[in-house]
Parts: sequence; structure tokens; C-alpha cells
Amino acid sequence: MAQTATSPINFKEAALELLPPGANFDACLTCGLCSSGCPASGLENMDPRKFIRMAMLGMDTELSTTPWVWCCTLCRRCEYVCPMKIDISRLVFLARGNWPKDSKPAGIARSCHLTQFGPSTSAMGMPPDDFVLVVDDVLQEVRATQPGFQHLQAPMDKRGAHFFVNQNSREPMSEPDEMVPLWKILDLVGADWTYSSKGWAAENFCMFTGDEEAWRDVIRKRVDAVNDLGCQVWLNTECGHSYYSMWEGVKRFGLEARFRIESLISYYAQWIREGKLPINSRWNTKGIKFTVQDPCMIVRKSYGDSIAEDMRFVVRTLVGEDNFADMHPNRSANYCCGGGGGFLQAGMTDHRRTYGKRKFDQIAATGASYVLTPCHNCHSQIDDIGHFYGGNYGVVHFWTLMCLSLGILGENERHYLGPDLRALID
Amino acid sequence: MTSAMSTISSSHPASADASTLETEVLIIGGGVTGTGVMRDLALRGIHCVLIDKVDLCAGASGGNHGLLHSGARYVSTDLDAAIECRKESELLKHLAPQCIEATGGLFVGVDGDDPAFAERFPELCRRAAIGCEELTVAEARRLEPHLSDRLVKAYRVADASVDPFHLALANVDHARLINGSIYRSHTELVHFEVIDGEIRSAHCRDRRTHAKLVIRARQVVNAGGAWAMDIAHLAGCTDVDLVYAKGTLLVNHDRMTRHVVNRLRPPGDGDILVPGGTVSLLGTTSTRIEHLDHVGPTVDEIDLIIREGSAMIPALAGARYTRAFSRVRPLLQGAGHAGDRAASRGFALMDHRSQGLTNFCTITGGKLTTFRLMAEKAADLVAGRLGNRQAGTTASVALPIGDAGRWTEPGAAPRQWYALGNPADMILCECEMVPQSAVDQIVAVPPGEAPQQMSIEAISLRSRVGKGPCQGSFCGIRVSSYLYDRGYYRDAAGLAYMRDFFDERFKGQRLVVWGQQAAQMELAEALHCGLFGLDALQAD
Repeated sequence: MAQTATSPINFKEAALELLPPGANFDACLTCGLCSSGCPASGLENMDPRKFIRMAMLGMDTELSTTPWVWCCTLCRRCEYVCPMKIDISRLVFLARGNWPKDSKPAGIARSCHLTQFGPSTSAMGMPPDDFVLVVDDVLQEVRATQPGFQHLQAPMDKRGAHFFVNQNSREPMSEPDEMVPLWKILDLVGADWTYSSKGWAAENFCMFTGDEEAWRDVIRKRVDAVNDLGCQVWLNTECGHSYYSMWEGVKRFGLEARFRIESLISYYAQWIREGKLPINSRWNTKGIKFTVQDPCMIVRKSYGDSIAEDMRFVVRTLVGEDNFADMHPNRSANYCCGGGGGFLQAGMTDHRRTYGKRKFDQIAATGASYVLTPCHNCHSQIDDIGHFYGGNYGVVHFWTLMCLSLGILGENERHYLGPDLRALID
Repeated sequence: MTSAMSTISSSHPASADASTLETEVLIIGGGVTGTGVMRDLALRGIHCVLIDKVDLCAGASGGNHGLLHSGARYVSTDLDAAIECRKESELLKHLAPQCIEATGGLFVGVDGDDPAFAERFPELCRRAAIGCEELTVAEARRLEPHLSDRLVKAYRVADASVDPFHLALANVDHARLINGSIYRSHTELVHFEVIDGEIRSAHCRDRRTHAKLVIRARQVVNAGGAWAMDIAHLAGCTDVDLVYAKGTLLVNHDRMTRHVVNRLRPPGDGDILVPGGTVSLLGTTSTRIEHLDHVGPTVDEIDLIIREGSAMIPALAGARYTRAFSRVRPLLQGAGHAGDRAASRGFALMDHRSQGLTNFCTITGGKLTTFRLMAEKAADLVAGRLGNRQAGTTASVALPIGDAGRWTEPGAAPRQWYALGNPADMILCECEMVPQSAVDQIVAVPPGEAPQQMSIEAISLRSRVGKGPCQGSFCGIRVSSYLYDRGYYRDAAGLAYMRDFFDERFKGQRLVVWGQQAAQMELAEALHCGLFGLDALQAD
């Protein structure tokens, strides 16, 4: 992967424009906190500090062509730990955008193309009719086969619903039964919600291509879809980048969103506190250990530590105080797993796994049997590095474990459970 | 690559005794002039030993703007100097392009500057045959967006920036390659042995090891710059009459302009900004001083420079400055009442015949831009005295592009490092991105010393180590550690080198630090004193 067709960016000038005074490249102390805490350090012989220094030294051609920009997951941990609060990811994003379209990693570019030009905004290109059909099929099957759920709802295009619930394409496309636990939870708490046949998808790989225009197009379609249905909350499910791309995109592009943008995690916590979601840890009779991954996109990059606290409240309630072990560092200082920024789709498998080693070691140190990951990219990456490095842990979504706790997890919804968890419910 | 010493022992009759060196010409003073004389003589086939009590460019040569004058600066005060500058700068641009960045220069007048001077300027340039093109204010500000909106006049000239360290290193290296001429740093002259009107030997000592060294030479050249008068006194000569003018400069963290920017007025304080690589240098001041010791910048000088500079470029008022430093200009006595700015920037070559010596000369005064010419005049005299009839060739032989000066250019090391893409080649100085391979190469050619005596300062002089925003805070530690790892340093001397390096960088920083940089200073102090306890290290 290399590119030559576009002219290099003047990174020093770009930094002056994009970054605030006092937190600009010229404020860098070269202390290296950014690099020592960056799992991408060393890949392609680069690291965040080198990126800044090369910019200051005018090495624009090198920075405009280094494939490292696709190894940086834009997680912004470098900025978080920087004493001067310098945001390097903005310039990495700029560099990505400057790559010629046909030189960008094909996986990311293709996903963006599908997201940008389909009415569903689905990175897997699933058309609205198929989505409606799959949802209905699955719903009918649950109603027919699962006692107590004869009246389960999965509303479509319901005007004036409180929640506009989005859906990562992976579920309707590849593992449709994974949608069901969430429907059951929404049903249980009495949520007034709807799917939309348009702009329903969550993922946004256009953000990862560095193409602002494409990113804006996608967000605009989704904003229009929510506005059209008159919903009050765009509720993002257990997915990281889709939340951030919407939350940041609406601000960045000045779009008129007549609704709030929220993450399901904070609602899980709220519903538990309100007594609507009566989960507990009594099911965990074997003391199975869990840890949790803080998705960069919803913790460090948007909500901050508040959602990390909500998440821990949910986890502790769900698995038991004694059965929860945090990774270190955690919350806003957590390491990206290496699945973010489009890395999973970038076709740089060796680099991605090297990046993920730090996360693997963090997980191994907790001794946990399961990692709860409220993010699809985290889920895939942590699963992959677990297999690759010979780990002995499983990866589960919150919704799966919640329904397990509630005794309502259907037969087909247990794909991510290991034998230890299955043994508890069989 | 063979070492300097082995080259000399194979091709020259130097003494095997390490305490005695024999050569044809001893040159005292490793500024650009001294190194220029060395190269010039070597090109005529004459073997030299060059000594400096510190290291290359430790005086005015390393403490100026790095401005290769088009000559326009001197058109109103010294027509001869202006013409010399024009000729020499044109020559150097052809012969040593690797040391020069052809930035071009602007002379800019702002509201309130003398309009009569501005009107006269093109005619003054014409008299010296110096190219000078008038620009509209809009054109000038398009070229340099940082220029003040109070600009009233602008001219473009052929100023450039030059790296004196690269020049000196390349001169020394070329002389070494031609005939094994030797450069020794930290070698201080103690006294001359004079017999029958002739200097027979120079008794020196190594300021690090205190080892004594006797240098026997047929001719001795005093190229001591500001110290030339002291050196002449050691030879019993009283005819070198210098006055000392301290000049202070600031190093700006950023390169603010593409061009050299001069104030369009007779030479004064804070009126030149010279971009060099990734930084800019702003200065200077001129203050008469009596002694050469303890010369340093003052807060008042720094304030003055920034105030004056920001009249041309307002952003200078709030810019980040990396360091400030002062050096002494040696000025030839005799200018009298008109002040040191008007004192001759020309140079003097003294043969000291009137002082009863036949093999001693002094070359002093002058300026960076004219160093080659000064060196040639001195070399003409020395070669003639040695009976060597070869003409000097420095006006036609290009300075070879070699390894010696390659690491002084900002951005050179990281570009090469990046292109090679060797992950095992660790970056030691992260600010300027100097990899271990560059340090290896520098340490492999020590300035007449063994590698274990190569200080961090000496490495810094030959590279960009310590020149970036951290001012050595981190790389001082990393380079030292590396040299310990590689076995170059074995005892506490390495720690002392590290401390001396931090001391030197701190001197430059302490007067320009405020705001965010103060935090950086605290961090450095915590590292150097709190963690390493370098402040408790025994002196020597």
C-alpha cells in the first residue's frame, strides 16, 4: 500500500489551522507520553511523537504516504495523556483523506461506498426491503417458538416513537438472532421504540476513509430519517464508532438534529436504577470472571468517564462485584483494542494483531473468562486476538448476558456463550 | 574510514610521541576562518594542525544569524564590505551549496522608519552592484504573510542562510582527506616557545584530560577571533587591537518566513530575522564589553530584540523561543566615535614583522560571509613564507559533499532514517529525530580525541541533537545511555558530559522561558536533578 498521486499536505500549516493555539504541534514537549501509550507505536516505524516531529520538520511527503495512518485507530489516547493536549488524530484523519481513493485500504473504501450510496446507509449494502424482511422473519419465529414472547414487537417506521433504534448491519446480515435479546430488553422495560427502513444502519466507514463529505452524506441521511419519524432519541446500540460518527458528525457539519443522540449503555444503567430491568448476578453461581472493554469511541472520545461508570455499574450488577476485574489502565485511559478506525477492514492483519497484543495482555492479566464489549469492532478484534494469541476467554455483548440473567435467552441467542455459561442455563 | 591519527602517521612525519605533534602550519582557532585557512593550505599541499580550546565555531562563527549577506546590509555603512559580501556570497552559493539555503532576502520598512533611507536604498545597492528589486507592499506580504500590516516599503535582495557548523566541519574534513591535516578540540594554547624571532613550538594542554601537548610548526596562524588579541599577546605581539561587541540572538521555535527579513534602515538592534532549516534566528544587539568571560544575554536585550523584531513581524511578539545566546564580535579598533555598528566589519591580516616575528600572523575581524576570502589572504601569506608557490584554489574548488557536516542540517537525519526504514535504528533525539546510526557515524570520527572523550556537546555540535524544543532534556539522557551501552562511556565522565550538556542548554533557555515552556523546564529539572541527581555530581 503506497500512494503518490495526490500532492502532500503541509502538516505544520494544517495543524495551525485545525488545532487550537496552546495545544498545537509547536507546544509539543516531545516527552513521549503519546508514543509510550500508543499500541500503534513501532508499526511502520512510526509513532505519534514521530508524526508531530516529522510535521514540524517539514517531512510532508513521508507523512502523506506512510501507511501508518491506517494503523492509527484515531482512538485519541495520545491526546488524552498529552500534557499539552495535542490532538494528533486530526492530522492523521487529514492524511487519510488525502490518499487517492483507489489507494485507500479497499475494505474501508468499499464499506464507505456502500454506506454512502444506499438508502439504508448500511456498510454491508443491505437494502431497506431486506432489512424489513429479516426483522419480520426473525420476529415471527420468536413469537412462534419462544413461550412468553408471542407479542414481542420490533416496530418499523413508527412515527413519533420515543427511541429511534439503529442496528449494526452485522446482525441482520450475518447473525440475525443476535437482534432478539435487545428486542426482549426493550420490550421488558416498556420502551416506545422503532426501527426505520431508511438510514437504519449504524456503521460509518466513511469516517475512517478521511472523506468528510462522505461522512457528512451518511450522517445527513440518518438525521433526516430520525427527523422524518419525529423520534426524540437516536439510540445507538452496542456499537462504538457509530455513536461517535453521529455525535461528532452532527456538530462538525452543523446539521439540524431534532433529537438527542444517546448510547444504549447509559439507558441500561438508567433502567436498572429505575427497577425496570431487574437483572442480578445470582445466576453466576460458579463465580465466572468478567472484564469490560471501554470502547474509545463512547468513553474517551465522547461521553468521557461518566459512561464508563455507568458501564461498570451495569457489569457489577450483572456479574457480581467479586466477579468483575477491571483492566489497567481503564476508562478514558483505556487502550484501544486495535479494531477501531477501520483497522479490521484495512487488510493489515499482522499489524492489527501486533497492535492488539497490548489489549490481549491486559485481558490476560485480569484472569477473566469473558470480555464484555459494547462495541462491534471491539468484539471482533478481541475475539480475533484471543484466538491468535491462544487466549482462553470469550467475548459477549451486554444484551446476551442480560437476557441470560433474566432467564429469557433463547436457544439461538447463545452463540457467544462458552460451555461454562451454557452449563448454567441448560 | 581510517582515523585522523592513522592517516597522519602513514603519510606525514608526525612524532610517534603523543605529546608532540609536528606539522607545517599550526592554526589556532576553530572558527570558520581557522577551518578555512586549514582547507586552503591543505589544497596547496601544506599539512596543518588546527586547535581550538573548545570546539568548532565556539565563538562568533557559531553565534550569529547564519546569514549569508548579499551585501545589502552594509551599503549605507561600508561600501567595501558590501562589495566583498556580494562577491563572496555568490562564490559560496556555487562552491558550497550543501551549506546554504538560497532563501532570498527582503528589506522592509514599516510606518515610522526613515523614508529618505528607503528611497536611497536602491541607489546604494546599485553602487555595490547588488541586485535589489522593489516589491509592492502587497507582493511582499503575499511572499511573507507574517509581515506587518504597517509595512510601507519592501525590496528583495539575494540574501541567503548558511550553516557555519556545516562549513567548518566540511572544511576540516576536506583538509583531513586531502593530506591528513589534524583538528584537535579542547586544546588550549598555554605559551609559545620563541627563539630568534621565530615561534619554535606551541605548548598546549588538553582542557579535559590536562595532558600536555607540544606542537612544532614552521608557521603559526592566529585565527582566534575575539581571542586573537590574547593569543597575540602570548607571542609577545601588541599590534592586534580589538574591541569587543557583544551580540545577542534568539532562536525561534518555528520558521516564521521563507526569506531573510531585514529592517530597511541603517543597521540597528533586532532588525534581522534569518530562517534556517526549521527555525529562525532573530537579532541582534550590540553592546561594548571589556572582557570575554561570562558573556551572556540579558532580559533587557531579549525584550529589545523581540520588540524591534515584532515591528516587522508581529507574530514574533508571542512566538515560542527555544533559546537565547550571546557571542562576541571582534571589531578592529579605529572606528572611533561612530559606534560599533559603524566600526569596520572588514578584516585585518597582520604579519607581525614589526613585532620581530617571522613565522606568525593574525587574521581577524571580518564576517561569516567573507571567511573564505580572509582565509585565502592568510594562506597566501603563510604559503609564501613556506616557499610554496601554489595559488589558492578555494575560489574554484567546490567543498566536497561528505559525511562530516551532513547531520547539522535540520531534517536531514530523519529523512535518511525514514527512507532506510530500519526499525533497529532507534531514534535517540526525538525532537530532531537523530537516529543512533548518525551518532555512530559522528563518534567514529572524533575531533582528534578518542571516542570515549566525545562529549554530548561535541555530538550536538555535529548534529541536531539537543536543538529541538526539549533542548536536550530527553536526548541528553538517551544519547548518554546509548554511549554507555556501546561502551564508549565507562565511568563517571559520561555523567559529567551529560550534566555539562544540560547546563549549556539551560543557559540558553532560562531567559526565554515563560508560560507553557516553564512546565517543560520543571519537567527537565525533575528528570535531571530529582531523578538523576546530576546537581550533586562532583565537579570533575
